[in-house]
Amino acid sequence: MKIIKDKVAKLSFVALLITMTAAMFYAPTASAHGEKSQAAFMRMRTIHWFDLNWSKEEVPVNDTMTISGKFLVFAGWPETVDKPEVSFLNVGIPGPVFIRAGSWIGGQLVPRSVSLELGEVYEFKVLLKARRPGDWHVHSMMNVQGGGPIIGPGKWVTITGSMSEFVNPVTTLTGQTINLETYALDNVYFWHAVWFAIAFAWLLFWIKRPLFVPRHIAVSTGKADTLISAGDKKVGMLFAVGTMVIVAASMGATNEKYPVTTPLQAGLLRGMKTYQMPESTVSVKVDDATYRVPGRAMQMTLTITNNGDSPVRLGEFNTAGVRFLDPAVHEDETSYPDDLLAEEGLTVSDNSPLAPGETRTVEVTASDAAWEVYRLADLIYDPDSRFAGLLFFWDESGTRQMVTVDAPLIPSFI
Amino acid sequence: MSASQSAVRSRAEAVQVSRTFDWMILFTLFTAVLGGYHIHYMLTGGDWDFWTDWKDRRLWVTVAPIVSITFPAAVQACLWWRYRLPIGATISVVALMIGEWINRYMNFWGWTYFPVNICFPSNLLPGAIVLDVILMLGNSMTLTAVVGGLAYGLLFYPGNWPVIAPLHVPVEYNGMMMTLADLQGYHYVRTGTPEYIRMVEKGTLRTFGKDVAPVSAFFSGFVSIIIYFLWHFFGRWFAKTDFIADDAS
Ligand SMILES: [Cu+2]
Repeated sequence: MKIIKDKVAKLSFVALLITMTAAMFYAPTASAHGEKSQAAFMRMRTIHWFDLNWSKEEVPVNDTMTISGKFLVFAGWPETVDKPEVSFLNVGIPGPVFIRAGSWIGGQLVPRSVSLELGEVYEFKVLLKARRPGDWHVHSMMNVQGGGPIIGPGKWVTITGSMSEFVNPVTTLTGQTINLETYALDNVYFWHAVWFAIAFAWLLFWIKRPLFVPRHIAVSTGKADTLISAGDKKVGMLFAVGTMVIVAASMGATNEKYPVTTPLQAGLLRGMKTYQMPESTVSVKVDDATYRVPGRAMQMTLTITNNGDSPVRLGEFNTAGVRFLDPAVHEDETSYPDDLLAEEGLTVSDNSPLAPGETRTVEVTASDAAWEVYRLADLIYDPDSRFAGLLFFWDESGTRQMVTVDAPLIPSFI
Repeated sequence: MSASQSAVRSRAEAVQVSRTFDWMILFTLFTAVLGGYHIHYMLTGGDWDFWTDWKDRRLWVTVAPIVSITFPAAVQACLWWRYRLPIGATISVVALMIGEWINRYMNFWGWTYFPVNICFPSNLLPGAIVLDVILMLGNSMTLTAVVGGLAYGLLFYPGNWPVIAPLHVPVEYNGMMMTLADLQGYHYVRTGTPEYIRMVEKGTLRTFGKDVAPVSAFFSGFVSIIIYFLWHFFGRWFAKTDFIADDAS
C-alpha cells in the first residue's frame, strides 16, 4: 500500500512539474531585441534606415512621441532573404510599453501589411503613446514575411509616471467612447465564471461519490450498468439541455446588445507611395574594400565622379544604422543615438570639393568601436561577405545627395 | 490486489483508502492532462487562442474545436470504459482552461503587460459538457463521435460570441474601419507577431458571404468527428493495463 501511495505521490509531483512547465512555456517575447545578434549582412543589405528622428527622450504616461524617418529598400537585397513583398512596419520595443497609436508609410496609415519595391525610398512615421514607465530601447523595425524581423536603430527613451493612469479612449462607430485598456473585461470574466461554475457543478456531481476503485471493480465484474442511475441520466439531460439553452439565449441577448459588429479586418496594401530623393549626380565606383580587424576600420577605395553642376564633398557613410561622419562636411543635429554615431569616424584621403565633371580616386576610412559593438565586423564570417551602405554628399548650399554602395569586403587580420 | 488486502483491516478503512486514492488519482489526472493538453493546444491552436484579433469567423472557428477535441476524447475513453465516469471531456477542458488562465494572467498580463481583454482564452466548456452527457446517455463511442463531435464544433462559436462580440464593434481609425479587436492588435505592439502572420478571414468560403461562421462551424464539427475517433482510440490504447506486466487483464 505504502509503495503504491509513494508511487502515486511521485507521479503527482511529476505531473505538477509538467503543469508548471506548460504554464511557463509561452510568454510573448519581452525584452530581447537582438539587434546585435541579427546577421550583419541582414542589417546592411536589406532595409537602410536613415534620417531617423525620435521626437522625445522622456515621455510621461499618456503622452505621445514619434519615430520618423526614411528607409531605402536595398536594391541588392540578399538572395537568402525573401523579398519584402509582404512586410509590416513594426516598432521594436519590449512588449506594449508604448501603444502604437498610428503608423504611416508615405502618409498612408499602415495597420496592414504592405508590399515594398526594391530600390525605393519610403518615408515613415510611427506615433507611440507611453503606457508603462521605465527606460526602453525604441527601435524602428520592419517585419518581412520569410525574412523575419529587420530591426533598425534604437534609442533609449524614458517613460515617467504610473501605468495605472494609462487610458486608451476610443470612440466606436456606434458612438460610444470606451477605454480599450479595460473594455469588456468584466464581460470576459463574467462569462468564464458562469461556464466554470456549470462545469464544476457537473464535475462535483460525479466526484462527490466513490470513484476509481469501486467503479473499476463494478465495471470489471460486469456490473457497469448499475453505475449510471436513471437519476444520473436526468441530471445529465438537464446539463446538456441547459448548456444549449444558455448558449442560444446568451447569443441572442448578445446580438441584441451589439447589433452592429463587423468581421476582423485584414489584407495587404499595395502601391505604397515612395519618396523621391533628389536625382543623384554623383557616381561612385568601389575599387576595393577591406575590413581591418585590429583597427576596427573599414577602408574603401572609391572612384567618385561628379556629373552635376556644383562641387560636392563626401560627408557621411551610413550602414546598418551606424553613421560615420566627416565633421568638416556634416554634423548631426538630430541627437542621434551616441552608440550609433561616429561623429569623426569618416576620413577621406582628399575631401576637398570635387568640381563638376571631375573624377577622383580616394581612400575612405570608416572607423569606430561600433563595428565591434554592433558586430558588423561579423560580416566577414557571413555566407555572402558583401557590405553595403549609403554615402551622402553635400554641395556648398547644403543640398544632399545619396548614393548606395554594394561591394565585396575582404578582411585583413594584420 | 494483494497489497491492499494486507494494508486495510476493516471496511471503513478500505473506504477511506479508496477515497484517498480517488483524490490522488484525480489530482494526478488533472495536472497531467493540464500539462499535456495545454502544450498540445498552444502548439496547434496557438495564436488563434492567444489574441482577440485572431478570433475570426473562419479559421479560429474551424481550428479551435478540431485541435481541442483531442484530449477530451482520449480522457473520455479511459474514464468511461474503465470507470463509467462521464467527466472526461469536462475535466480535460477545465484543466486546460485553468492552465490557460494562469498563463494569460501571469505571463501575458503579469509579465508582458498585455491587457487581459486581448489575451483571454477561448471558451470550450459548453461543448465539453455536452460531449460528456452524450457519452453517458448513449454509452457509445460512435454516437459520441458523430453527435458529440458535431455538437462540439457547432457550440464553439456561439459559446464564445457573448465574450468576443463587444470587441467586434467597428471603429473608424485614422480613416480606416476596423474592429476593436483589430485595434487591440495594432495598439498593443507584438514585435514577434507581425500583421501578416495573422491568419484570419482567409479561405475559400467567400461565396457564403456573411454567413460564413455557421458554415465554418459545421465544417469544424465534421472534422471534429474524425479527430474524436482517432483520439478516442489513443485514449483506449493508453488506458490498457498491459503496461503493468504482472497485472495484465
Ligand atoms: Cu534595443
